[in-house]
Amino acid sequence: MKTRLAILFLIIFLAVLPAFAGKYLLYVTIHILLLSIFSLGFNLLFGYTGLLSFGQAGFYAVGAYGCAKILLVYPSLLVGILGGVALAGVASLVLGVLCIRHTRIYFSMLTLSFGMMIFSLAWKWRDMTGGDDGLVGIPRAPLEVPGVFKINMAAMESYYYVVLGLSLLAIYLFQRIIRSPLGLTLQGIRDSETRAACVGVSVRKYRLLSFTIAGLYAGLAGALLPPLESTVTPPVAHWSHSAEPVLATLLGGIYTFAGPIVGSVLFYLLKDIIVRFTEYWLICLGVIVVVLVMGFRGGVVSIFLKEGSRR
Amino acid sequence: MKEIIRTESLAKYFGKMAAVHEVTLTLQEGLFTSVIGPNGAGKTTLINLLSGYLLPDRGKILFQGNEITRLGPDRRVRMGISRSFQVMNIFPRMTVFQNILLPVLSRLNKTSSAFSSLLSQKEAVGEAEKILGEVWLKDEKDFPAGELSHGDQRLLELGIAVASNPRLCFLDEPSSGMNPIERIKVLELVKKLAAERKTTFIIVEHDMDIVFSLSDWIVVMNRGEVLAEGRPAEIRANREVREIYLGEEI
Repeated sequence: MKTRLAILFLIIFLAVLPAFAGKYLLYVTIHILLLSIFSLGFNLLFGYTGLLSFGQAGFYAVGAYGCAKILLVYPSLLVGILGGVALAGVASLVLGVLCIRHTRIYFSMLTLSFGMMIFSLAWKWRDMTGGDDGLVGIPRAPLEVPGVFKINMAAMESYYYVVLGLSLLAIYLFQRIIRSPLGLTLQGIRDSETRAACVGVSVRKYRLLSFTIAGLYAGLAGALLPPLESTVTPPVAHWSHSAEPVLATLLGGIYTFAGPIVGSVLFYLLKDIIVRFTEYWLICLGVIVVVLVMGFRGGVVSIFLKEGSRR
Repeated sequence: MKEIIRTESLAKYFGKMAAVHEVTLTLQEGLFTSVIGPNGAGKTTLINLLSGYLLPDRGKILFQGNEITRLGPDRRVRMGISRSFQVMNIFPRMTVFQNILLPVLSRLNKTSSAFSSLLSQKEAVGEAEKILGEVWLKDEKDFPAGELSHGDQRLLELGIAVASNPRLCFLDEPSSGMNPIERIKVLELVKKLAAERKTTFIIVEHDMDIVFSLSDWIVVMNRGEVLAEGRPAEIRANREVREIYLGEEI
């Protein structure tokens, strides 16, 4: 009950935020929401299926570049976002078939390599991606369903609500998934792959499903980026960007539903604060993560949960 | 009597070592069968081959007349073959109840249901609770499985193995690490489950007293081969069997 009330307050707070927040705060909040979606998807693979991916930025980039290319040709926000998500889904399905054949460090290395392959594509395929200049001048196209409605997105507030709505939807769906039979099956695979196979679970099929869902979430986060920034550049595909959901999830807690979200907030705020003092912000953040991992294995969220109610 | 599983010249090599060598064996439905033999005889490898955990290098396996030689473990579970493991193999981070629920959901083909809540799966929940009662773990329902005592974890493994409602179930040392009294209790439970659920159990067991008092049929393995098989009395009288057990009283 308490949790529900807290969630309700949080949603109301986020909904009225544009009334008193300035542009910068909205911009930061959007980024935190994107990182939350990105990290949630990553944690379906990591915390719930037991696969540590270092290549999620690749699918984020497919979503971002996909959405950007569509918006440059056909300025409709809905088409751009859906197109970006779909492309990321296809990419993760195809690469997933190759990656999920292995587990543990081998899986991590494979995802790292494929992620960096996507980075090289973004960097070298000038005609398509604009190379190191990236894609520029991406319009924040109106949200429209032809003949039904058309909402202008020029104001940051309007776009903020689109991102907020989609984030809440993604978070809600995620919560449904992890509490469903599918979620239990993935946790079974995480706990013991052999035991899961020996109760009739097709381990590869469900790993691929988990990988694809994680790819769709990364794609959604990515697709929401270009309308905000109006540019996309290769660093979004870089492995150091893949590390962001890893760190955010470790900060927040891997075996909890809210861990990646709480972690994303902390990660972004810490980064934002530390960057003001030093460009070596990653070193400082690294120290904080090390302390947390050594002291509180379950992340920040677990500190607030009683031992027995951990999920 | 009906055959439930049969092997033809089954072989598995680890390097040059023949873990299982030319095993041709027919096991009957409804017979409580024990596989015995000294360490390294190939008992666990045989079970790994029959349950699909390992694939054989040569030979054939037929389950109720259908060839299953190259099928993976998940496919075999769906056909009605399940197993437990020698080394504890449960889902430690999940609750005891969830440990049993997963195989039930899998049998009911519900594992890909992505948006319904677990408790809305009424049929599966009901069955899982019933099985928890059968293996005496009702009170531990909401415990994380990894925090159970060793004995209870072995019971849970048994519960997971029967939760997929198998026709044929392999138990690899179901009572390992238990004291003699617990052992008898667990194996009597297995016998009871065999009768109630119409499941044929094939067990690997080291405690000879239990094996000879509970089994209907005994298969003796040595150095990867089947040395003898028969009713307990026949095996007890077999000279070769006595020799590999170094004259131990059996």
